[in-house]
Amino acid sequence: MKRGLITWDKAELPPSVFEARLVRARAALAKHDLPALLVYSDVRRSTEGRHLTNFMPYWNRSLIVIPRENGPVLLCGLSPRVYPWIKSVTVFEEIRPASKLVPTLLQLCAERGWIKLGVLDLAGLPHEIELPLEVSDIKLDLTDEAEIAMHRRAAQMAREILAAELANGAGLTDYQFSGRLERAFRWAGAEDLVLLFSTGDSAPRPARGSMLGDQYSVAVALEYRGHWVRITRAHTSDEAAKMLQDAFAAAEKVSGGIFALHVEIKYGGGRLFHGDTCYNGSAL
Amino acid sequence: MNTRDWDSILLYGNSWRKDPFRSLVNFNFSGSHALARLSRSGEIAVTFSDPWDAENGSAKLATDFACAFSGGASAVAGLEFMEERFVAACGRLPVSATGDVEELRRVKTAEEIGYIQQACDLADRGYQRFVEAAEPGLREFELVAEVEAFLKENGAEDNFMLIASGGTEVVGMKPPTDRILQKGDSITTELTPQVNGYYAQICRTLVLGDPSPGQLQSFAIFSEAQQAAQDLIKPGITAAAAARAQNDVFRKHGYGDYTGAKYTRVRGHCLGLYPDETPHILEDVEYVLKQDMLVIAHPNTYLPLSGYMVFGDTLLLTESGNIRLNKTEKKLFIK
Repeated sequence: MKRGLITWDKAELPPSVFEARLVRARAALAKHDLPALLVYSDVRRSTEGRHLTNFMPYWNRSLIVIPRENGPVLLCGLSPRVYPWIKSVTVFEEIRPASKLVPTLLQLCAERGWIKLGVLDLAGLPHEIELPLEVSDIKLDLTDEAEIAMHRRAAQMAREILAAELANGAGLTDYQFSGRLERAFRWAGAEDLVLLFSTGDSAPRPARGSMLGDQYSVAVALEYRGHWVRITRAHTSDEAAKMLQDAFAAAEKVSGGIFALHVEIKYGGGRLFHGDTCYNGSAL
Repeated sequence: MNTRDWDSILLYGNSWRKDPFRSLVNFNFSGSHALARLSRSGEIAVTFSDPWDAENGSAKLATDFACAFSGGASAVAGLEFMEERFVAACGRLPVSATGDVEELRRVKTAEEIGYIQQACDLADRGYQRFVEAAEPGLREFELVAEVEAFLKENGAEDNFMLIASGGTEVVGMKPPTDRILQKGDSITTELTPQVNGYYAQICRTLVLGDPSPGQLQSFAIFSEAQQAAQDLIKPGITAAAAARAQNDVFRKHGYGDYTGAKYTRVRGHCLGLYPDETPHILEDVEYVLKQDMLVIAHPNTYLPLSGYMVFGDTLLLTESGNIRLNKTEKKLFIK
């Protein structure tokens, strides 16, 4: 579950950002002559819902409904006791309790007279969300300037903390070092964190008590205010660090969009990894 | 599989619900998806969506993960939360094996109980760290950062954790906010570290400063309710009876209204590869508890005396009763 700081800093992401995103979603609905857009959201899959409403479920599952004419509605598996908090960190003014998501959705559709819906990534819906309605698959481009800026902020945070902490892992176990990194990242406001370590004899993997020696790699997947980035760095010699940077510079030109990329070299009898989150061919 | 006449089953896991997959292949994958295919003859084939998982787990890689489902299977554990594109890739629609696999998972082996005991020990030490770190002036998320760091330093794979702080205005727990802890606060937490795949839980309430008469009176009710469940739980008892034992204490003290869905979720649940396993401890759940199941009984709810309060321990059902696996003192913590 997400157990870091979930908040909405309106100086960082002004309400106007979400208003513009909802306008784009409604334009897509108008284009397809649909009355509302359905967006599924859970702990694993929150990117689309967060982009449109700033809702990041720390647990459980939800359906987000964006009507063409009215404000978005959250159908929520979480207790109504947390709705005031949800409203304080999202754009929602209406939240309906929904221990069973589909019947609650059908009730809303009946109230509003909807007989068809657009669904963001229809094939990605969980199997249990069976919709006895006419549904259309809707695609939305989720990349805008604010999205890129937040990813850039998350990437900067990850790079800065890793730069400050990376050398401190030498002589610790990967458990001990993961604790040290958790403390640094969560104090800085990380919502969620996945840490992987390689001592040179394997690809990066979750901590398992291995001793970190003179040379190791750490991959940090960080979620900051709903925006995931992955940064991978190696603690190694200056020569190997240069080789990794050169390899990354050569590799990163081949793709587009926001994506995580890593490269690997062999050095000193072991494997080293370096990676970053990129946009349009450059590290953010 | 013989009983159901299933030739093969798939056990699917994703980064939130790893548990169906890990119930057969206890490998902590870090990518988005994992799939194990079990044939009736006992052969297991594993596929991951992430190249690092595939390499570390000596398994197949499917970057287009729908390909892992080609050929289908008789049944799937985890079918309900599989993406529809994966279900479509199975061809003929498989039936769900989720319920059958969950029932198999409920009764733990000695090895599994050993992991849960380790997780309980870590939960106890983690709560000790929680109490040490909590102080006026600290923000909720900073307190969680300290506990999270401690758990990871000491080998936790993951942790399910909720928190709340404040007084009678607090009606439930959630992820940490930037609220600053103050003298007089009740600080509630569910701490649920995961060791080798298995979760154990502890629930305790800490008061910063001298507790109010309301906080003391409230805790006495919670303590009596949790003890009532602990005294009752044994093989043959239903989840409903374990819930009723707790709720009856609240009713006896005139707080029966606070045992319903408006103020609380469940009076406990099972533990294992998922931190909130079924059956839930609720008055309408007639599931009969069995030996070697792991249950937390926690009468966590809102009371107007104190605001939201929590109290609970992980219990292992033995042949004739239960053993409390947590060692943390059963008291209202005061600092």
